[in-house]
Amino acid sequence: MTIPVTIPALVVDDSTVVRKVARRILEKHGFSIREAADGQQALDAVAEDMPRLVLLDRNMPVMDGIEFLKRLRDTYGSSEPTVVMCTTEAAQDRIMEGLEAGADEYVMKPFDEAILMDKLSMVGLAPEGFDPDAPG
Amino acid sequence: MDDLLADFLTETNEGLQSLDGALLSLERNPDDPAVLAEVFRTIHTIKGTCGFLGLPRLEKVAHAAENVLGRWREGSLPVTAAGISLILRAVDRIKAIVAGLESAGAEPAGDDAEMIALLDAAFRGEEVAVDGPAAPPQAEAPAPVAAVAEPEPAPAAAAPQPAAAAQPPAQPTEAGPGNAPQTIRVAVDVLEDLMVLVSELVLTRNQLMQLARTETNSAFSVPLQRLSQITSDLQDGVMKTRMQPIGSAWQKLPRLVRDLSHDLGKKIILEQHGAETELDRQVMELIKDPLTHMVRNSADHGLEGPEERRAAGKPETGRITLNAYHEGGHIVMEIGDDGRGLSTARISEKVIRQGLATEAEIASMSEQEIHRFIFRPGFSTAAAITSVSGRGVGMDVVKTNLERIGGIVELRSREGRGTTFTIKIPLTLAIAAALIVESAGERFAIPQNSVLELVRVGDGDGPKIEMIKSTPVMRLRDRLLPLVNLSRLLALQDQPVAAGGSSFVVVSQVGSQVFGIMVDRVFDTEEIVVKPVAPILRDVTMFSGNTILGDGSVIMILDPNGIARGTGLGVETNGEAAATLTAATRSAESRDHTAVLLFRAGEGAPKAVPLGLIARLEDLPAERIEQAGDSLVVQYRGSLMPLIPLSGYGAVMPAPGSKQAVLVFGDGAHSMGLMVDEILDVMETQLVIDGAGARQGFLGSSVIADKVTEVLDCAYWLHQGGADWFSATAKAKEVTRKPRVLLVEDSSFFRNLVVPALSAAGYAITGLPNPREALRLREAGEMFDIILSDINMPEMDGLQFVRAIRDGGPWQELPVIALSAQAEPDDVEAGREAGFTDYVAKYDRDALIGALTQAIELQVFARSIDSPV
Repeated sequence: MTIPVTIPALVVDDSTVVRKVARRILEKHGFSIREAADGQQALDAVAEDMPRLVLLDRNMPVMDGIEFLKRLRDTYGSSEPTVVMCTTEAAQDRIMEGLEAGADEYVMKPFDEAILMDKLSMVGLAPEGFDPDAPG
Repeated sequence: MDDLLADFLTETNEGLQSLDGALLSLERNPDDPAVLAEVFRTIHTIKGTCGFLGLPRLEKVAHAAENVLGRWREGSLPVTAAGISLILRAVDRIKAIVAGLESAGAEPAGDDAEMIALLDAAFRGEEVAVDGPAAPPQAEAPAPVAAVAEPEPAPAAAAPQPAAAAQPPAQPTEAGPGNAPQTIRVAVDVLEDLMVLVSELVLTRNQLMQLARTETNSAFSVPLQRLSQITSDLQDGVMKTRMQPIGSAWQKLPRLVRDLSHDLGKKIILEQHGAETELDRQVMELIKDPLTHMVRNSADHGLEGPEERRAAGKPETGRITLNAYHEGGHIVMEIGDDGRGLSTARISEKVIRQGLATEAEIASMSEQEIHRFIFRPGFSTAAAITSVSGRGVGMDVVKTNLERIGGIVELRSREGRGTTFTIKIPLTLAIAAALIVESAGERFAIPQNSVLELVRVGDGDGPKIEMIKSTPVMRLRDRLLPLVNLSRLLALQDQPVAAGGSSFVVVSQVGSQVFGIMVDRVFDTEEIVVKPVAPILRDVTMFSGNTILGDGSVIMILDPNGIARGTGLGVETNGEAAATLTAATRSAESRDHTAVLLFRAGEGAPKAVPLGLIARLEDLPAERIEQAGDSLVVQYRGSLMPLIPLSGYGAVMPAPGSKQAVLVFGDGAHSMGLMVDEILDVMETQLVIDGAGARQGFLGSSVIADKVTEVLDCAYWLHQGGADWFSATAKAKEVTRKPRVLLVEDSSFFRNLVVPALSAAGYAITGLPNPREALRLREAGEMFDIILSDINMPEMDGLQFVRAIRDGGPWQELPVIALSAQAEPDDVEAGREAGFTDYVAKYDRDALIGALTQAIELQVFARSIDSPV
């Protein structure tokens, strides 16, 4: 029997629903999840323990996703963690803004298991054995 | 019901609840970016979440509304009243769908095409008629515009909300039909109209009463009495329709306290009394932040940890109590804890050390008076900075915020027993207490909350109005107070004020700026109904509104902010509008005006020195001036003050019987006088200094009032005259190593102001023109105890600089104080987020030294914790 290795991930979104959806998908694929409801909470969580993946909403109270991202990269450098920005705004400049602020990838809301895991495999974070075409 | 859906309903209802208020305040301030961002985010979140749950109807409406809000937010479409009504209707539709979702577990059937078409039209920038025949498909009230008197959650519902994740799936439907208290939705416009009509009625009633007073035994007197009573009741009734229970401002606190108790390792329970107490929703929005701050403070500083409590014989669980009740036209709110209370000894010690009061003064103060020092800017007795209460922003900000809406805050504390803060705020901002004054035969109202004191000036012994050239000033308790001549400012009459004439001065405070408004007469304080300024007068910033007095006359309400700005007193007024730092920065740039004193000394051009550097202006009789060796001195406030001649001819004794004009620099203990020939004027100007060809003792020349003027290099002159004084001060402080201070400031002028002021106060100071050079010093291994930085600098500004410091490296933990022309709470917050430890106004020497002392003490303290001896 192999010991399951979990990938620590932080889900940052002001919506409980989105956090829960993301948690369900990610936990199913061997991530261990912490949640934060805004950028400030996320910074605190990162300071406590550095995750490998941050799934980040853009529009949040207190501190938005872009600001969080800038501070994250300012403080910890640009290599870790991998940040996937969630966005509902299809506009190119919004996506670019996130990527310029240091996001590695973006995913459009609403996402489902296939979409999200597909994106994660692009940034090399999909755990082994994941087949995006397999029924969720 | 799926628990995801339950979560969605909980958070959507929460968001929707705050939305009405936000939209209404948006209507009043259409370009408030903070409110706009909040509204956008709420709708955006609803839309974003719908997709996950498969709620197409909701998603479409929210999406269309979001589009319109998005254009508002980016400024490509103006916010109009019609637009807001449309969004409010869309919000109502969203509420209706959510209500259906809540009761049936699925979206109710319905057609939103018309609503979406309207929103899309608005998005394209077309004019939209909102009160058109759009038939609401739901069982909504006709043409709802805003929710008023909504069924509020009972006090119990305002109490602890379990963490959303642990929410039971069956969420009780608050807004469900049948079980809710009987309410209807009424357009806010209707309420506002009612309010206006009632005000008119009150005025008419007052007029009638005044007429009736002259007639005794009139047959009208009894019905008039009745009319009067009914009118008052009606006014109360209409006021009530704008009210909301305070409980909705408390909703977030249980969660906050829960999280804090977890973070701090303390056991805390939060008790709420009087959550049903009502107040104007506009006021409520404004007190939410101060309230949160105070509860944080209670949890963090007030309450002890479980062990300490056990040791003190108290129950392990600390208690924070919120209590609200009405008193007169005010709502009183108490935030109390049963913690350790304020330490009078520690506050006294700090007060004395910071030089805010002498030991003798402290001895004569009551405990309560000493406690009030915690409301002073930058004052904090917390031994260490904790992550919870943050740094720098303290009770002074709470106090300022409350005072801005006419509130007061008091505190009661007993050591070992706990602290209770009492906040008293007006129930509404629609009615305010104002001082009625007269100038040039016109009456004006000045809001009571910006009046510090009233001073009668006249021929007697009291304060007098003096003229520095054409600018009136008044000496009030050692302070040179600029005065505003109201009748001149408003062009009521053009006759110049006669110095020494008899009148009143209303001493007002705007931000940290204190000034006097000269008026002819003072009548009384009255409760006035504030009416907005007519649009045609909106550009006249001197007025904040108008009101109608009991005798029927219409008078203008003065806006002390606008007056200070109108006279160029250099007052910053960003207020709520400057929610973003960029806005604040911009306004700071446009405000870079400095008040300078113009004078003549010796040959050549007039000279200038920033007014803020001068402690006092004196006309010393020649008899008081004494010769001491080569120099002149004067006995001044119990010590000898050296007098330095500026004329360049050495120290020449003035002729007997004549008077010598002296600019006094320095504080109470140490001072130095510069002898000048004549004081010319006080002016507000943008100091652009040309350093080319500057003589010794001068920074350079500047064109002021079309004349080339030499600007004094204070550093040079202070060193010239005060050699003894400097070394004496320095010696006193040299018992310990001099604290090393790094100053980063692009303007050589201000560098030259701050450097001597601080070296005089015993600091070893290094001044640099930009952050890059400062960072080079860091690379070179230089170390300082504290860093002062300007905010506005080219290339790299202060915020970027402080982020670079916090980024890592040997300076990472250093206190960094922002120096800026403005210090509004918003800016303080923005600066703090970037990593600044404290925020100090640029010209406020005392505050700067206070902040330095405090920051260095904290650092020493922190080090003593870090490295156990």
